[in-house]
Amino acid sequence: MGFFKKEKKGTEQQGIEQQNIEIKGDKEKIHCKLSLYENINIVKEILKDCGDVIYKDFAIGKNQNLKFTIIYIDGMSDNEILLNGILRPLMLHSREIPPEVPKSGDKLYDLVRYGTIIASEMDETTDINKAILSILIGDTVLFIDGIDKIIIIGTKGWPTRSVEEPSTETVIRGPRDGFVETIRMNTALVRRRIRDPRLKLKQMQIGRRSQTDIGIFYIEDIVKQELLDEVIRRMETIDIDAVLDSGYIEQLIEDNPYSPFPQIIATERPDEVAGELYEGRVVVLVDNSPFALIIPTTLNSLYQSPEDYYDRWIIATILRFIRIFSSFLALILPSLYVVFTSFHTGVLPTKLVLSIAASREGVPFPAVIEAFIMEFTLELLREAGLRLPAAIGNTISIVGGLIIGEAAVRAGIVSPIKVIIVALTAIASFANPSYNVSVGFRLLRFALIAASGMLGLYGLMLGLILIIVHLIKLKSFDIPYFSPLAAFIPSEFKDTLYRAPLFNMIKRPLSTAVNEIRMKNNRNAIKDKEGEKDND
Amino acid sequence: MIKDNDIISPFQITAITIMTLVGVGIFSLPRSLADVAGTNSIIMILIGGIISLLAMSVIVTLNCRFPRKALPDYSGEIMGKIPAKILIFIYIIYFTVFIGYETRVMGEAVKLFLLSNTPLEVTMLSIILACTYAVRGGVECIGRAMEVFFPFLFIPMILIMLPGITDADFSNLLPVFYGLPSKFFKALPTMALSFSGYELLLFYVGFMKKPKKAYTYAAVGIIIVTIFYVIITVLCFSMFSVKVVKGMIWPLLSYVRSVNLPGLFIERLDGVMLGIWVFAVYTTMVSLYFALTYSLSRLLGTKEQKQYALIMVPFIYLASVIPQNFAQVDKMPVYLIEYTGSILLYVVPPLLLFIAWIRKKGGTNK
Repeated sequence: MGFFKKEKKGTEQQGIEQQNIEIKGDKEKIHCKLSLYENINIVKEILKDCGDVIYKDFAIGKNQNLKFTIIYIDGMSDNEILLNGILRPLMLHSREIPPEVPKSGDKLYDLVRYGTIIASEMDETTDINKAILSILIGDTVLFIDGIDKIIIIGTKGWPTRSVEEPSTETVIRGPRDGFVETIRMNTALVRRRIRDPRLKLKQMQIGRRSQTDIGIFYIEDIVKQELLDEVIRRMETIDIDAVLDSGYIEQLIEDNPYSPFPQIIATERPDEVAGELYEGRVVVLVDNSPFALIIPTTLNSLYQSPEDYYDRWIIATILRFIRIFSSFLALILPSLYVVFTSFHTGVLPTKLVLSIAASREGVPFPAVIEAFIMEFTLELLREAGLRLPAAIGNTISIVGGLIIGEAAVRAGIVSPIKVIIVALTAIASFANPSYNVSVGFRLLRFALIAASGMLGLYGLMLGLILIIVHLIKLKSFDIPYFSPLAAFIPSEFKDTLYRAPLFNMIKRPLSTAVNEIRMKNNRNAIKDKEGEKDND
Repeated sequence: MIKDNDIISPFQITAITIMTLVGVGIFSLPRSLADVAGTNSIIMILIGGIISLLAMSVIVTLNCRFPRKALPDYSGEIMGKIPAKILIFIYIIYFTVFIGYETRVMGEAVKLFLLSNTPLEVTMLSIILACTYAVRGGVECIGRAMEVFFPFLFIPMILIMLPGITDADFSNLLPVFYGLPSKFFKALPTMALSFSGYELLLFYVGFMKKPKKAYTYAAVGIIIVTIFYVIITVLCFSMFSVKVVKGMIWPLLSYVRSVNLPGLFIERLDGVMLGIWVFAVYTTMVSLYFALTYSLSRLLGTKEQKQYALIMVPFIYLASVIPQNFAQVDKMPVYLIEYTGSILLYVVPPLLLFIAWIRKKGGTNK
């Protein structure tokens, strides 16, 4: 498999090849024959009716008696390598070799394999099935008449999107590159940030038909071995037709499929991936998906943005407070409206109650129904705006936000205060760095509205308790979801509700990492220098 | 990699102790103390705290003899199978009635202050069912829940109570020590009531990796609760004076209601206080509930405790509707805790420890 050659470095090589053999064990081996004709017929039989497969026969040698065939898929192979790396040396340069040299088959083979073809990735096999798989992933396969070995030449090259700024997790300060759909580019983006031979990449292929490449990244002496084993064990249990996105993997290996909260984060940012790797987490990259999976995930990590670590700690802490508060607001604000307008009006100051009551005058629905109508409208607008092309999306927001909001109030269906509440809820729910978790909270908001509509403040409290208990119950790869707040780990508290100054975060998080110390506190060293200056 | 769901950390022991002890009683605590101890209440709380620390250390010592085992697991070793089963059964009934009592007080308070038209059945059943959800998560889930609910309960509660200090008249706390000996024994059972709950350590310490740590961590829990009780009592007494407190059903709530801050967004804090109080009741119920299902699973010889959570709902509900009216609800702890609870708390653990010592059961080195 020439495909994997790029990653082969040192001890890693062994692991990868073993992995490949294990995964494809279910396909039986078809042994390569001596006759070129027979081999090509086998390949043609398997790849019947595949119009994009190109068979190029050619003959070289003085008497044109050495027959070759290369097979590749049009559009998936790099024409440059194909022409200048394979065809040109074979057809032109080979003429410079005296005809008597390649008499025996083995010599000819060695000459072609090691001396003639100009390509950085090459491999050989005797298995036709393996050769076909290589063709399907964009490599070129060379059959030689009279030799029962197949040369695989790495020629993968197809049109890809270039590295762009990720659209979901934008930052103001921080790198702008984001993952793309090709796993190789993604692994390169990660490796650029971790120049450490202990950064390992385990490769496997999942999907019986799609044979999607999966890369499992981890840093050897930081990751917990049992976590890594568990991730690999769960990945190996997957038996599915096709994996089209990392979302498939996420859903198939998560702990609690019935929870509205994501137990694995998906990120588009290589810098976040690198950061998580340095904390001992395992990252799964899936070909054709710009989203990497970070395992394990806690609720706390969903509130961390990579930017938190690039900004100064005071700013990062305040931003984090705002995020947590906004999530809380998005969850309970509509319910609080219901509770305080229809159950416990006495809690609010009299003037406020009066203004609410005045604004609700003429509204035909009870506060619960009003809340449901408006929150549902908000979700509708959001979904409509998301799916439409950008040009029409703006229209939707104008129609929805301005016309419906204004007209609904004028028509007396909802009160203006409710519109304010809805707007606040919407803004608050968008102020979360993780899209997934905000969706979870947004959905639960409806349950809370229903609970507080039935039982008032008591119902709201019970609802909140149930949500908290649910979050507490969740585990992601044996790490409690509420960790490190519960189970409370004091040393990890520095990166939760607040973000401690970088020089204080000396240890890696204990729950995920093995190798504890990550940095030296350099504050004193800096101060010493200043002291010296003063003395001078 | 997937471990058994059976380890709780020392921090969680502190949280469990605090959250179990602080239950429905906090609203009525100053009144029941004022009834029996008058101005000596604060001293009585401190004495109650010290007694609790002693009783707690007996429990932890007992548990240290049998590391990684809870009461239902080792009681058979100490006193033989059948007496142990009877003891567990008594605990089961005690826990069921206790949870029922908590539920009822909760329901009555909610009816009185929050939802006057909602039937009691709805409020009571909904909190029992909410408890089963946490109990089904097992002991680790409960340990974590206690840790999370601890700040949720205490931070807002203290923020709500502190502003009242400006209106307090601390001379209401005097005279101290006056007639203490005569009231001492009268007040002791009340103290037992407000501190009851740490008998659950008989169960929870069994889930610790190092049960010896429970000495410090459970003690910290009891000390925090003692301080909290002192704060509540001081605030209520100094605001209203002992005589007025005697006439109130829930003095703490009345205190919070009288706290008035100009310019605050929320005008009446007692509604908020009641909302937060739900956390306190819920956590007490959950930790009792788990001990209940765990005892049941050991009594019936099953490995899991999950399945008993839902089965016990009707029984707890029945226990909660035993009292006909609120006057009877108020009497309930007298029968429940002063008679049964005190025995289970102050007599059974030392007795078990004594028998274990005589019969040389369990690790003697601890």
